[in-house]
Amino acid sequence: MKRRDFLISSGTVLAAAPFLNFGAGAPLGKKMLVLGFDGMDPGIVSRLMGRGELPNMQRLSGRGVFTMMNSTIPPQSPVAWGSFISGADPGVFGIFDFVHRDPKTYSPMFSMTETLPGSLMVNIGRYRIPLKSGHIVLKREGPAFWDYLEERDIPVTIFKVPTNYPPSASHQRTLSGMGTPDILGGYGIYSLYTSDENESQADMSPNNVYYAYIDENNVMEGQIEGPKNDLVREGENVVVPFKVYVDNKHKTARIDIQGKEILIAEKEYSDWVEIEFSMISHLASITGMVRFYLMEMGGKFRLYISPTHISPRDPAVPISTPSGYSRELADKVGLFHTIGLPADTKALSQGAFSMENYITQSLSVFDESCRLFDYELQRFSGQKQALLFFYFSSLDQGQHMFWALNDKEHPYYHPEESRKFAYITDEMYRKFDRVLGKALKSIDPAIPVLVMSDHGFGPFRRGVNVNNWLVQEGYLKLSVADGVGEEISILGYADWPASKAYALGLNGLYLNMKGREKEGAVAPGERRKLLEELKAKLEALVDPKNGQKVISCAYISEDNFSKNFIDRAPDIILGFDRGYRISDKSALGTLGKEVVSDNMNWWSGDHCVDPKKVPASFIANFKIQGQVPGIQDVAPTILKYFGIAKPAQMTGKALI
Amino acid sequence: MSSKVKLSKEADQKAAEIIAFHGYSSLEELVEDLISKEYDKIKSGDNKEELANKLSGLGYIS
Repeated sequence: MKRRDFLISSGTVLAAAPFLNFGAGAPLGKKMLVLGFDGMDPGIVSRLMGRGELPNMQRLSGRGVFTMMNSTIPPQSPVAWGSFISGADPGVFGIFDFVHRDPKTYSPMFSMTETLPGSLMVNIGRYRIPLKSGHIVLKREGPAFWDYLEERDIPVTIFKVPTNYPPSASHQRTLSGMGTPDILGGYGIYSLYTSDENESQADMSPNNVYYAYIDENNVMEGQIEGPKNDLVREGENVVVPFKVYVDNKHKTARIDIQGKEILIAEKEYSDWVEIEFSMISHLASITGMVRFYLMEMGGKFRLYISPTHISPRDPAVPISTPSGYSRELADKVGLFHTIGLPADTKALSQGAFSMENYITQSLSVFDESCRLFDYELQRFSGQKQALLFFYFSSLDQGQHMFWALNDKEHPYYHPEESRKFAYITDEMYRKFDRVLGKALKSIDPAIPVLVMSDHGFGPFRRGVNVNNWLVQEGYLKLSVADGVGEEISILGYADWPASKAYALGLNGLYLNMKGREKEGAVAPGERRKLLEELKAKLEALVDPKNGQKVISCAYISEDNFSKNFIDRAPDIILGFDRGYRISDKSALGTLGKEVVSDNMNWWSGDHCVDPKKVPASFIANFKIQGQVPGIQDVAPTILKYFGIAKPAQMTGKALI
Repeated sequence: MSSKVKLSKEADQKAAEIIAFHGYSSLEELVEDLISKEYDKIKSGDNKEELANKLSGLGYIS
């Protein structure tokens, strides 16, 4: 069945199916399992199911339903999972994109968290000690659905759901997911030591690339950069040195770091290695952890060091509730990745990884997630009443990087790589089917099980610089006459008093409103007419290369969202058509040479498009009522199952 | 908070040069502008470079 046919027919199937009571034929239980497979695409599931390659999903849906599910506008993970958590549209919980902006400065800012620095410093010797410590604030507003379960004393485990860092206050077991930073406060800065001089000079910023100098005794010295020490007046980064003893004959190496000796062979990963970063000698330190990956030895020496993750055994910042939950997992299962999206996609994008290296790491992350899931599944099996939500990131990250392997129309299609690795996407889906199979074997068949994603996937073949288009159409004016076609930032070169609109984020377009933006140019009375004019023009935009539509729908926010936090929303959400996405440059306000250009990167699949083009998946062993569900309907459904009425602020509806 | 600030001779000379270079009308205008810019920087939270690193870390931009 073609993808499009499936998407059309799934709604019909639902409409034709008579409504059955939840769990008909079986007594209602008080346990529920929800598996979150980020990015699981219903079209791919349908294709593989049709070939009998996903027997467990098939079995699950045979007792209930398999359908596409509407994602959010836009279908970005922080937004869609926020909707899952809140049971509401983004207007209620206030996250509309990875990137928001401050209208008073036009500066883009991260939407999920805000860092409030420490203040009231006192100087003691070379140290600056804050009397009021800094902290990170979660910007997702309102209660999470598990708060209502807590009120009824129903035990809940929420494992790594995105848009919950730092984890919102709860007595339930929650571990933060996407949004959780590395020890440097970023989302994963790796290091590469290479004996290839050319490679050592490559720009892989903000990651670290070093020349690997191996001396006559076959020893290489290196260092791992820790956090900036804000307690020291000079504010330098803390570093931890290490030595590598290279044995080319046996293709092995010994790494000595902080008194530990780690032995690894070529093409192997080390286990997690905990590292202490001393902030004040003997008084204050931060624990991080890395994995070493000895990619090559012999002719060329290449050593990859993972980003420094927060240690779950001794987290430097809160990553779980209760705070001891992450330590419990580390003690029982072993150390595990804590960065929200742990597979190093940028190492592949920047050439530090080959496709083979990336797949090795991706499978390692998946295996680690499976070990953690086994532990939680065992706990769940022994509970009389509980909800377990468990999130996996590997399918999403994999499809971002693997898409071009199966897409001959993609400008980054590599026939040779495709011949070797095109199998991997389908194999990942089969692996996730086996995860489900294991779960189904270990729990009572009467327990409702839901497998869901937040969005599907599509190709990202051409990038669109919306700011270039706004300049071309006269909505965005530059303060320099010769700025068109130059890679300059609108933040420095826009003539704001003469500009009517600007684009920031992965799907956002903003009007430059008087009274809202610092140098607004659009009067409130002009607003609606301008929104409709822009919508019509954006939806008429075609790619000069092939005449295809670029934007299938421009969503006017005030027509689509609740009003609670709509002041944070872009005025228009850009719903890109299949094959298109915002360009890297436009996302942060930099102009490019063209409006539309080829995407020449392994990051070749995406979902930051029109939600109608990338619906999510919903597979369950219970029937649902109504037409195609939406992701905001899941929380009210869970609450109804546990006998809790839908809270007033939830805009979703129970499906049972 | 006191609105009077005593500048060192060196800072005063530098301020005079900045005023001449950028065309500020007075020292007060220069100080107000600098405070406004610094305030915007604090309020804007993550700066663009940090944000670019985060989006790059997530993979969404290269």
